Amino acid sequence: MFTRFLKTAAVAALLSPLGGLVHADDYPSRNIEMMFPWGPGSAFAMAQIITNAMGEELDTNITVVSTPGAAGVKSFNTVQDDDADGYTLLDGWVAPLILQPLAGNTEFTYQDFTPLWSATRVPFAIVVRKDDERFPDYATFIEYLKENPGKARYSSGSIGNIPHMVIAKLLQTEGVYARNIPYPQDGDAFKDLRGGLLDFSFNDPITFQSNKDAFKTLVAFTNEDDVAAAYDDETQTLDDLGLDIGLTGLAPSGWNWFLVHKDTPDDIVATLNTAMEAALLRPDVQEKLKAAGFLPTMYSPDQYEEIVGPIGDQIAAAKDAIAWEAEQLKK
Amino acid sequence: MFDILLSGLDSFQSWQVIGGVLFGTVVGMIVGVLPGLGPLIGIILMLPLTFHMEPVAGMGLLISIFVAGSCGGAISAIVLRIPGTPLAAATLLDGYPMARNGRAADAIGLAIAASSISGVLGGIVMIFGAPLLASVATNFGPPEYFALAITGLLSISVVSDESTVKGLMTGALGVLLAMIGSDPLSNAARFTFGTNALSGGIHIVAIIVGLFALSEAAFQIIEGGYRKKPDVQPVRISLRSIKMTLRHWRNLLRSSAIGVFFGALPGASGIIASFTAYAIARGRPLAGDAEFGKGAEGGVVATESANNAACGGAMIPTLALAIPGDAATAVLLGALLLLGLVPGPQMFALSGDAVGGIFLAFLVSNVVLFFVGILMTPLFVAVLKLRKQYLVPTVLLLSIVGVYSVQSRVDDLWAMLVFGMLGFGLRRYGYPLAPIVIGLILGPIAEGSFRRTLLFSDDGAWFILERPIATTILAIDLIVLIFALTPKKTRQQIFGWMMSRSS
Repeated sequence: MFTRFLKTAAVAALLSPLGGLVHADDYPSRNIEMMFPWGPGSAFAMAQIITNAMGEELDTNITVVSTPGAAGVKSFNTVQDDDADGYTLLDGWVAPLILQPLAGNTEFTYQDFTPLWSATRVPFAIVVRKDDERFPDYATFIEYLKENPGKARYSSGSIGNIPHMVIAKLLQTEGVYARNIPYPQDGDAFKDLRGGLLDFSFNDPITFQSNKDAFKTLVAFTNEDDVAAAYDDETQTLDDLGLDIGLTGLAPSGWNWFLVHKDTPDDIVATLNTAMEAALLRPDVQEKLKAAGFLPTMYSPDQYEEIVGPIGDQIAAAKDAIAWEAEQLKK
Repeated sequence: MFDILLSGLDSFQSWQVIGGVLFGTVVGMIVGVLPGLGPLIGIILMLPLTFHMEPVAGMGLLISIFVAGSCGGAISAIVLRIPGTPLAAATLLDGYPMARNGRAADAIGLAIAASSISGVLGGIVMIFGAPLLASVATNFGPPEYFALAITGLLSISVVSDESTVKGLMTGALGVLLAMIGSDPLSNAARFTFGTNALSGGIHIVAIIVGLFALSEAAFQIIEGGYRKKPDVQPVRISLRSIKMTLRHWRNLLRSSAIGVFFGALPGASGIIASFTAYAIARGRPLAGDAEFGKGAEGGVVATESANNAACGGAMIPTLALAIPGDAATAVLLGALLLLGLVPGPQMFALSGDAVGGIFLAFLVSNVVLFFVGILMTPLFVAVLKLRKQYLVPTVLLLSIVGVYSVQSRVDDLWAMLVFGMLGFGLRRYGYPLAPIVIGLILGPIAEGSFRRTLLFSDDGAWFILERPIATTILAIDLIVLIFALTPKKTRQQIFGWMMSRSS
């Protein structure tokens, strides 16, 4: 009995590398998973739109698995710990991909993953209540913060994310600061802005459209007029206000890039890339993403280093604004 | 709002919408019954299907899953002592004892009828009271959430049959378990011991299924009699459960109101609603009903009406303010956007016909839930006819598959096993398990809200007293606490004195 067990184990051990080879040739021969770094919500639904279309191209199911934890880092670590067989994809959102490594909270960098295509971007803006007479425009808003240092309360959703960094950087550039109140869900922060507890908040185009009766924008973190127009025609860009916060292009936005384990075989990566490109080019996919306020970015895998590298440099320079904000509040 | 409902009739009257509601209800019941799945997973699984549907049909399908999934968890809680969803954790307190007393069909009928009626009530409030309740919700900030969380934690003393002190101990354990993972404010790792598996905390489904289902399986194994054929009365399809439920109409209305209220508060949930409704119902038992905790019909009515009315409540901030009440409504919000509807006040003006159709789909899904549930009841009760030698492995298999399916992680199975052993030990020594669930849910809300309150404040915790609603809730909590700690004899003397003064 024991001998038979040993023989079986030996044969299995010998065949396992061959199994890996067969795996690559037949790819995909089973369902694929996509690790999503946040709790379910609109961004989760967007991931489902793209993976659903990719699944149709690959003739398999791609399940999006919400794996929140450690500011999104848990899903990245999970992908790194899994086999590099192309059956575990990663929805690489910028905060865990760039910001957390820069903060020293990860053992990986963006270079430790193989890129597929980039997916979407979400531009951010600062909003206040429409009926808040203290802030008729951006200039009086800054004036108020100067006169009341550290008294104003705002929210960027969670602490240490991209909206936190861009708001802190803008305020630092203006020489003012306020206290960031973290919330488990962005919606709770928007509710408290409506309710009058918060003085201002970050916002995305779709949430703004839904709360247009109560909110108005002061500035959108972009230099592109068409991106600012996703809020409304009156929304001003950084350029309109003559502001240079050292963050341009994608850098002050939320964006995601689909990734896989770095050791994933090239032929599998090529298969995934072909499927993702076809999925992103589908008009119905583009239409749905745009309708939900997620603008398709359409950067190819070859542009990963060229796009992400400089963004990383900009974020590295801007992230200190968060620490600066904390120092000012301690004074 | 009648205008919106009428304008929605056209978009509702199509086979795609009606078929979507029917299909969604059946899917919702199934994902609710299966441990670990629940309405959220059901909605996520079916979302891609709606990409190619008309807005009302797509939302009708997803809302039906939301409604039926919120009720389906009660069935496995009643039949197998596995809360199919965390929402049903309070239902098993009396539902499972009812089943053990040979009244499984009655308990399921009560759960379905109470869910259905309260769901319709919640829907009516959603349709006619959305603007009002949405504005109430915006007045609830961190201080108010903290006060409500304290109210919920007080309910531990009510659901702890075995001993209040032991209940408080297991409640504290729940609060501690909820601290594992990332700090809700700073994102710093807490009690993760450097492991990636714990960085997101321990999944609540793994904890609940382990505590309740695995510990029950262990007790069943110890009890023996594996080959004994269970004596289960044949079940006929009947509408009797409506009559039974309506006997508890006060409880039904009160619990539905509690459900709508908690549902409308983003971040609070049907779980708090069901435990709060249970705690209040327990203080007002119906004459002739069994004792609470030992198979009281009122316990099932309270919990199920509260958590299904919470569905209507949770839709209020989702539709009116684009602020989802929980994870399931967050995905529904995403679905609305995908289907071309931008939630918010302007949606009622710009897409009134679609909104009306969605409202009608919500109401109809609650009615369909009743008939689908009643038709499927004999199937669910048939599980109880299984001999223990088949039933226990079935429970274990369902638990394993259900828990694994949530995140596809083996770590969750290990967590389930550990909590199964813990649950067995706690029950063996008379420690109640329900307070752990209350602590798990309310601990993070209390902690996060209190710390956020301090961040808002320039004067520490005194900031709470500047908020009238929070102060009132905390004052009531204090009175309830003093009342609960006062000896019964002294309480009677005080009441006697008050009565004599008033006469």
